[in-house]
Amino acid sequence: MKKDSMLYVVIFTFAVCAAFVVVLAVANEVTKPMVEANKLFATRSAVLGALGIPYANAADASARYDAQVKELAGAVGKAWTSSIDGVEYIAVEAAGPGLWGTIRVILAASPDGERVRGIRVVAQNETPGLGGRIEEPWFLGQFEGERAPGGRVAVKAGAEASGKADADKENGRVDGISGATRTSQSFEAIVNAGLAALKAGGVR
Amino acid sequence: MTPLINPVTLFFASIFTSNILLSNFLGMCSFISISKDWKSSFGLGMAVTVVMTITTAISWIILYFIITPLGLEYLSFIVFIVVIAAVVQILEMVIDRASPALYMSLGIFLPLITVNCAILGAILFMQIRSYGFMQSVAFGAGSGAGWWLAIMLLAAIRERTEKNPVPAGLKGPGITMITIGFMAMAFIGFSGMIAVQ
Amino acid sequence: MMKSKAYAVLKDNLWTNNPIFIQILGICSTLAVTNNLSNTMIMTLGVTFATALSSLTLSAMKGLIPRKVRMIIQVVVMSFYVILLDILLRAYLPDVSRQLGPYVGLIITNCILMGRAEAFAQANKPLLSFWDGLTSGLGYMSVLMAIAVVRELLGFGTLFGIRVMPEAFVTWTIMIMAPSAFFLVAMVMWWAKTLQARRVAAAATTVASKEAKK
Repeated sequence: MKKDSMLYVVIFTFAVCAAFVVVLAVANEVTKPMVEANKLFATRSAVLGALGIPYANAADASARYDAQVKELAGAVGKAWTSSIDGVEYIAVEAAGPGLWGTIRVILAASPDGERVRGIRVVAQNETPGLGGRIEEPWFLGQFEGERAPGGRVAVKAGAEASGKADADKENGRVDGISGATRTSQSFEAIVNAGLAALKAGGVR
Repeated sequence: MTPLINPVTLFFASIFTSNILLSNFLGMCSFISISKDWKSSFGLGMAVTVVMTITTAISWIILYFIITPLGLEYLSFIVFIVVIAAVVQILEMVIDRASPALYMSLGIFLPLITVNCAILGAILFMQIRSYGFMQSVAFGAGSGAGWWLAIMLLAAIRERTEKNPVPAGLKGPGITMITIGFMAMAFIGFSGMIAVQ
Repeated sequence: MMKSKAYAVLKDNLWTNNPIFIQILGICSTLAVTNNLSNTMIMTLGVTFATALSSLTLSAMKGLIPRKVRMIIQVVVMSFYVILLDILLRAYLPDVSRQLGPYVGLIITNCILMGRAEAFAQANKPLLSFWDGLTSGLGYMSVLMAIAVVRELLGFGTLFGIRVMPEAFVTWTIMIMAPSAFFLVAMVMWWAKTLQARRVAAAATTVASKEAKK
C-alpha cells in the first residue's frame, strides 16, 4: 500500500485517532471517581467555608458537613442551612457572567439578608493574577460579617479600589481588585443577586 | 446559561472592545512575523476571519449535537483542533482551485492558521460563555475581523517606522513588541464599554 | 558523537535559537500567565512535558505519516498529550487545574509544539527529538520565569506568593496587566541580541587578527 494512496491516508488517520482516543477514554474513566470526589469536596468545602465552619481535611469536612449542614430545596438552585450560635444561616449558590466566563460562588448570610456570613468561589475563569484574585482570602475575608444595608454590598472598583482589604464591617462596602475593574463589578452583581434570592425566601 | 447579548452588538464588541488580539492576547505568533508586510497581512487577516467564522459555527454544532449529548467533553480539544485543521486544509484546496494567484501569495500562511491560538481560543470562549448559534457565528466573525484590523494597524505602523533609527538589538521583533505593548494599552481603554456576555 | 549533538541542541534551544527571543514562538501564553510565578512554572512545565512527548511520538511515527495529513496527525498527537495533562491535573491537582483554567487547552496551539514538530522531529531520531522538545521547553521556561520574577515582584511585591517587598512599597499595577509583558520581552530580546552580536563580532575580530598575523 503506497503511503500517499487515498486508502492508506484514510486508514492511517482513522487508526491513529482511534488509538489516541481510546487511551484518553481509559484515562478519563480511571480518573472519573477521583474527579467526582474532588468536585464533591470542592462544593462541600465551599459551603462549609461560606458558613464559617472550619475543617481540618477532606474527611473532617465530610464529617462536619453531614453533622452540621442541612440541604434545602431552594426555589432557585441549591441551598443549605446551618445553625451556628443560634442563628439559622442560609447558604445559596449564585452565578453570573464575569470577564472571561461564568463565576459561581456560594454565599452565606443571615436569613434576613442584612449581614453576610461568608463567600467562597466555586468556579471562575478570570484572568489569573488579576480577576482570579477574587478567590484570595484578603478579598473574600472582607465579606465575612459585612453588613449589607438594604441587602446590598458595594464593591469599590476602578480608581476607588485600593487593593487592600476594607476593614470596616459596618459600611457595607468592600474593596475591589485594582486592575480588575470588570471582574470586581461582575462579582458585586453576583453577590447582590445572591443576597436578593436569599432574602426572597425561596427556601423551605 | 446563554447570555442575552444581541449578535450584531456582539460582532462589533468583538472587534473593538474585546479584540481577541489586543485584549485577550491570542494569535500573537503569526501577528508578529507577518505584520512586516502590508499585503501579506491583508491576505492572512482575511483568511483568519473566514476560518474563524466557519470553525466557530461547525464547532458549535458538534459541541451541542454530538459531544454534550454523548458526554464526551474530555475530547473537546481534539475535536476542535481537528475541525480547524480540516477547515484549513479544505480552504487551501478551494483557494488553489479558485484563484492560484491568491494561493501563491498566501503561500505558507495557510498551514500557519491551524496553530493560530486565536482560532482555538475563540472556540473555547464560545464554549465557556455558552453562546447560542447566531451569537457564536457573530463572535467568530467579529473576533476574526478584530484580528484582521489589529494586524493591519500593526503593519501600517511598522511600515511607517521602518526607517526610524532603532537600536540594533531592538530591530525587528524587539521594537514590534514595544509597539504592540502601546497598542494594547490603548485598547485597554475600550474594555468594558460593551459587555460581551 | 551523540553527546556533542545533544549539547549542541541544548545550547541552541537555550540560547542561540531560544524559542521566545529568537524564534518568536509561544508568545500568547507568555503575556497572559507571567504575572504570577507559580502559574508560570506550572504552565511552562506543562508545555515542556507536551513538547518533549509529542516530538518523541511524532519522530517515532515519522516514517508512517502520509504527507497529506501531516498537520492533522501532528495536532492530534499534541492535543492527546495536552488532554492527558489536563485529565491528570484535574484528578491529582484540582486547585492547580482551576487556576490555569482555559490556558491548559491553549497549550495545544502554543507554536513551540508545532514549531519543534516541523523543524526537528520530522527529520531526527526519537530520543534526540525528545531532548530537543525538552530543551526548547527549558529555553521557554527560563525566559518566562525571568519575566515573571520582575512582574510578580513589582506588581504584587511577592515571589511565589511570599511577601518580599516592604509593606510601604507601592505596587506597579502596569506590571500585573499584559502590556508590561510585551515591554519586558522586548528588553530580553534587546539584551540577548546585543550580547549575541557582540560575541559574533568578537569571534570575527579574532579570526581577522589571526589572518593578519599570518
